[in-house]
Formats: sequence, C-alpha cells, structure tokens
Amino acid sequence: MEERIVKFISALRSGGVRVSLAESADAFVAVENLGVRDRDTFRLSLRATLVKDVESLPTFEELFPLFFGSGEPPPLMNMMEDLTEEEANMLAEALRQFGQQLRDMLERLLRGEELSPEELETLGQMVGLNHADDLRYREWMARRMQRALQFDQVRKAMQEIMELMAQMGMNKQRLEQMRQLVAQNMDALREQMRQFAGQRIAENMAEQRPEDHLDGLMDRPFQALSDGDMQKLRQEVRRLAALLRSRIALRQKRAKSGQLDAKATIRANLKHGGVPFQIKHRDRTVKPKLVVICDISTSMRHCTELMLSLLYELQDQVSKTHAFAFIDHLEYITPDFQGNRANEAIQQVLIRMPPGYYSTDLGHSLQNFADDYLDTIDHRTTLIVVGDGRNNYNDPRLDIFKKMARRSRRTLWLNPEMPMLWGSGDSDMLEYVPLCDRILQVSTLSELTAAVDQLLVEK
Amino acid sequence: MNATRAFQSIETTKDDLSEQQYIAGDEISTTVYLAQQLGKPLLTEGPAGVGKTELAKAIAGSLDRPLIRLQCYEGLDETKALYEWEYAKQLLYTQLLRDQLQETLAGTKSLAEAADRLTDEEDVFFSMRFLLQRPLLRAILSDGPVVLLIDEIDRADAEFEAFLLEVLSDFQVSVPELGTLAAKHVPIVVLTSNNTRELSEALKRRCLYLFIGYPSLEQELNVVRLKVPDLAPQLARQAVELVQSLRQMDLRKLPSISETLDWAQALVTLNIDNLDQKTLETTLSVLLKHETDLRKVQRQLSRMGRDDEDETDWDDELRPPRRAQ
Repeated sequence: MEERIVKFISALRSGGVRVSLAESADAFVAVENLGVRDRDTFRLSLRATLVKDVESLPTFEELFPLFFGSGEPPPLMNMMEDLTEEEANMLAEALRQFGQQLRDMLERLLRGEELSPEELETLGQMVGLNHADDLRYREWMARRMQRALQFDQVRKAMQEIMELMAQMGMNKQRLEQMRQLVAQNMDALREQMRQFAGQRIAENMAEQRPEDHLDGLMDRPFQALSDGDMQKLRQEVRRLAALLRSRIALRQKRAKSGQLDAKATIRANLKHGGVPFQIKHRDRTVKPKLVVICDISTSMRHCTELMLSLLYELQDQVSKTHAFAFIDHLEYITPDFQGNRANEAIQQVLIRMPPGYYSTDLGHSLQNFADDYLDTIDHRTTLIVVGDGRNNYNDPRLDIFKKMARRSRRTLWLNPEMPMLWGSGDSDMLEYVPLCDRILQVSTLSELTAAVDQLLVEK
Repeated sequence: MNATRAFQSIETTKDDLSEQQYIAGDEISTTVYLAQQLGKPLLTEGPAGVGKTELAKAIAGSLDRPLIRLQCYEGLDETKALYEWEYAKQLLYTQLLRDQLQETLAGTKSLAEAADRLTDEEDVFFSMRFLLQRPLLRAILSDGPVVLLIDEIDRADAEFEAFLLEVLSDFQVSVPELGTLAAKHVPIVVLTSNNTRELSEALKRRCLYLFIGYPSLEQELNVVRLKVPDLAPQLARQAVELVQSLRQMDLRKLPSISETLDWAQALVTLNIDNLDQKTLETTLSVLLKHETDLRKVQRQLSRMGRDDEDETDWDDELRPPRRAQ
C-alpha cells in the first residue's frame, strides 16, 4: 500500500501538482491515523494533506481512482447460454459469412468474455500506450485500442447479423434483447480499456522523474519553448511573482525620501512622552502606473504572455495597469485579465484577434492608441512596449511614438531579439531606439524577471 | 466536559459540529478530525459566506474551548498580532514609583553604580505585567487549550505570512526581553482565505487544506431548516431552489449560504407565505449585492413571468420558483 501511495504522489507531481516531501510525510501520518478501510475517508485524508490548491483538485480526483481502484468495470453478460437450440443455429448461420478474426470478436461479445490482462497488454503495446504519460491522452488511447479491436467493423457486422436473423424469422423481442445485451457488452469492454489506459498512463506518470531542469528552461529563448515547457514556466512565473512581490514591497516600503514628517513623528512619540525616539520620514509613493503595449503576433506570444502574467500577479505593487495588445490593430485587454489567468486571457484575446501572416502593423496600432487611449498616459506613467519592432515595412509612425514617450514618465522597450538583428529586414527597431529611455533585451524568463523587477522599483 | 476534550472519531466530529448548528459533510468532518489528530493548522478556502469562519466557531463550541480570533488586513504587523509593550503604563509606573526608585538609588556614589542598581530592577518593567498580549500570544499563553482563528489570511501582506510560519510550526514566540515563550497547549488553528491572492507554498505546506464550495440543494436546505426554523418547509425549498439556480447564472457576486439565510430570515420577518413576482422583486436585494446583478436577475425573472402565462418551457438558466398552490 505504501508503495502505491508513493507512486500516486509522484504521479500527482508529474501531473503538475506541487507536493513537497513534508506533505507526503503528512499524508502517511494521516493514513496511519485514519486507516485505509473506508475508501472515502482514505481519499479525503490524502486530499487534505497533498493538495493545497483548488486548481489541483481535479487532477487529484482524476488520478485517485486510477491508483486506488474505482471498482471493476461493469460485468459482461453471456447471452449464448439462454439461446434456444434453434436460435443458436440461426446465429451460427449468420456468423458464418464473416472472416475469422471478426467472427472471434463477435462470438466473444456474445459470450461476454472480458479482455484478459495479457490481451490488454498486447493491445496497449500496439497503440503505444507505454509512451503516453499525460492523462489528456487517455480517451485517445482508449479509442485507438478500440480501433485495434475493430470495434467499428464489429458494430456493423452485428447490425448485419441482426438483420439476417430477423429475416430468418427470429422473434423481434428476443432480437431486441440480444441487441441491447451486445451493446452493453461493448460498452463494458470499452470501459475496461478506458480504465486500463488510464491506469497505465498514471503509472507511466509515476515513473517519470519529476523534471528539475527548470533552471535550464529559465534561460531557454522564448522561441525554443514547447507547450509543455510553457506549462512549467507558467507555474514558475507565479512563484517568481511571489518572490518579486515581497522584494518590491520591502523596497517600496523603505524607499523614503528623507524628508522629516513632523506630524507622524509627534504622533509616534506620544508614548515616549514627546521625546522623539522614533523619527518618521515622509513616504513617497513609488508604485508605478503602467501602460503596456504588447505584440501578440506568433513570434512574440510566449514572451508577451509571461510578461503579462508577471505583471498581473504583481497587481498589488502597481497602482494601475492598462494593457493593450496588437497585431494589425490595437485592443484594450485589461478587462480580459479580470478574473482570468494570463494564458486564458491571452487565449481569449487571440480568439478575438486571430494572427495572420505578416500582418503585424505597429504603426497603425499606435495610431489607434493615439486616437482612443492617449489619456491613459500621464506624467506618472511608465510606458512599456513589448515587441520586436518588426513592422512589415509599414509606416512606423515615429511621430506618434515620440508624442507618447514625451507624455510618459519614462519609456521602456522590451525586445526579445538580439541587438545585432535590430534594423535588419523589416525591423524598425533602430528608429525607435532613440525615443526610449531604456531598451532591455528579454529573450528568456530570467531576463524578463530581472526587467520587471527593475521597472517596478526604479523611479 | 473537561478541559482536554477532543473529537473522538470522524462520526462524532460530525455529530459534535451539528450540535453547534453546523452541518458538516464528510469532507469537512474528516479534515477537521485529521487536523486535530495531526496537530496541524487547517487552511480553509472558498467563496465568501460559505461558513469558513462559522466552522472555526463550531469547532470551538463543540470542544468547549475559547475562540481567539485574529482578523487579518493589509498592513497587519507583529505589534497588532503578537504583542506590544505597554509604554503608557510603563511611563505611568515610573512616574508613580519615583519615590521607590529614589530610595533604591539612594546612597549610590557614582553614576555607574546607580545604573547598575537600576539594571537590577529592570526586570520589573519588562515583565508580563507590561506586555500587551495580542491574539497570537494570547493563544500561545492561554492556560487551557483554545481554538485560534486567523481570518482572511489572504488580506495580510506576504511578510506577515512569513512571520506566521514560525508561530504555526513551533507554536512558540521569542520576546527579546523575556526569552522564548512556548505554548502550554497546542491550539487548534483554523486559517481562512477567500482566495483573493495566492498564499505562499511554505504556508500551504504546513497546513491541511479544505476547500468549502457552495453546498448542494439538500445540504443548503438542511442549513436553512436548522437556522431559520420558522420558515415554512415548502417555502424554504422554493427559496433554496431559486438560490441554487441563481448560482448557475453569470453574476458578479454569487449569493452564498449567509445570503440565503438572510433572505430566509427576511421572508419570515415579512410574513411571506408565497414567493410571487412582487415578493421576489422587493426582497432580491438581500440576495444580490450588485446593482447589475439585480437588474439581470429581475429581467430574467420577469421574462419567465411572461413565459409562465404563455405556458412555454422554462429557460434552463433559471428555474422559476414554483408557485405555492
């Protein structure tokens, strides 16, 4: 049992649930305390100790039955037994026309035989189940196993048999009964395969080493990230955000301007009888106001998403963020982020503004901004542009950008491209450079984190 | 009832809690029992008004322990949560005891000698006498076992969370002038969070986790029957059904159990025996706390009112209240 729990925990980990050693130790203590006899209590004691996140609950609920049995698949019925001799003859007659393999399968279904573990194993190998380590593949694997068993042909053949037997004069009611039984048996087999696939995948997940090459990922360029990597990075971003948050909060708290706050000092020292023990200085609000304009075309998506995730995790350190996204025109996307995770929000935005080929047009988007949203920039705003400055030879609209830069407190440009490439091809980067206060090259998550750290504290 | 009363098993936990008028499902009772057995803090999360704070009260009630509550807010710090020296009292005492002090210092020849003598007396001024105990320290120093409720931890700053870690893992605090104070009885700790921000991994790791969501129809009905017994059963069912269907809608703030109870109480107070259109329109504001939500639901209800006359099928989104015969 202990081994099973250990396996379960490592499957949870590879399913993206953070389970620490201390927590797995807690799980064992809890199980020791409450026992394993009552399945529900057992489930709850594991859940309370291992899962500390609402979002991870579904993963837990999905994996738990795969490791600790969800009951047997529904039993199969044997219908051959209660056939009359006449009916059995008719059936044999009807079966004769099919090939050997199909006939075997049909007879199996009629007799209600389950798949043996060896058969399931072979089937699994045939469809490549041993390499699957993600529960999202479960249904697909199960379907592939069904296909390997020729379920579709079987279904068709069954229909033919039914018709044949009806022609041969079999009782309608009996026939209907038989049809239902076969359908049930097929469902049961399907369920059996589904369970097998789920269990096997879960075990593969458990055997997978928890990947710890996050450090490598932090320094991998955005273009080279796969979807799986992104998933990991998204989690990492949340952790980083928590780190940054306390650092920034502390720094903002300690950022004193040095001016004596006489009122606060007197108030604070009343308890010392008016002797000024504690000197209070005037705070200066250093929480920045941000306007972020992001390129969400295909080349920039990962970078933008992580950037916006970081910013929105850090909302409490910022007095206001206005986020805009553009490909060929500009959209205000702050409302999408309310109550959504950054990747969901970006997904939403992408559905609204599908990326096309070579359609990026920063100049036009800047025009949109100047027309509708210029008032979001004032003397306290930090303007951030996330993009590669590749404009498809459209007008870069430097005049508008100059105006925006002049209105804002400072202007930052985050570009994932190497400085060497700026100005090459359709890049207008070099023309924007003199208008910005600062340009940071951010091609990896660690560079991005450093950039966000700076921009939230610098005056 | 003795001082060290504890939950005996999962079943009795459930019963004990229901004696306190708290209806706990298997999930809640198992987790509460486990928290007690493992001596771990219990972190409850869920939408506002589903009874997280009530749970702590019920635990305190059924174990017959005092409940010490620490309400978190932005800017909460150690002096508000743990302890503070009572400067005013210290000052007052030095003023009043001036004569005694002078007596003590009488006959000293040098300043150094006087300072030495004063140092010997220092302990008087930095003793428990002048220590203003805040909730955390009260929970630790309490003579009997207590239940400590740390409410809405997500509102406190991340720094405070880090500070809590020490208290929650060892149940001891160090006061520089007094040394380390350890808990005589390990309190049962319940933390609640409305999930407005992500809590730190470290804090979560030390806690057991319990998510309390909206209750099912039957559960909610039981709660309403228990807390508002005056409401006619038929009406109670209608009301709960309506609330449940409201939760399916896309509203800014979904009504939770506390709102259901308020509404049920309102229905009783207004002596209403039939949930008709007019009643709904006048009392909905108890359930829905946003103007836009209110308008949305009223629109939906009036549409259904019209549908009712046409005898057409109901919109799936919101089942209508059944009319009492």
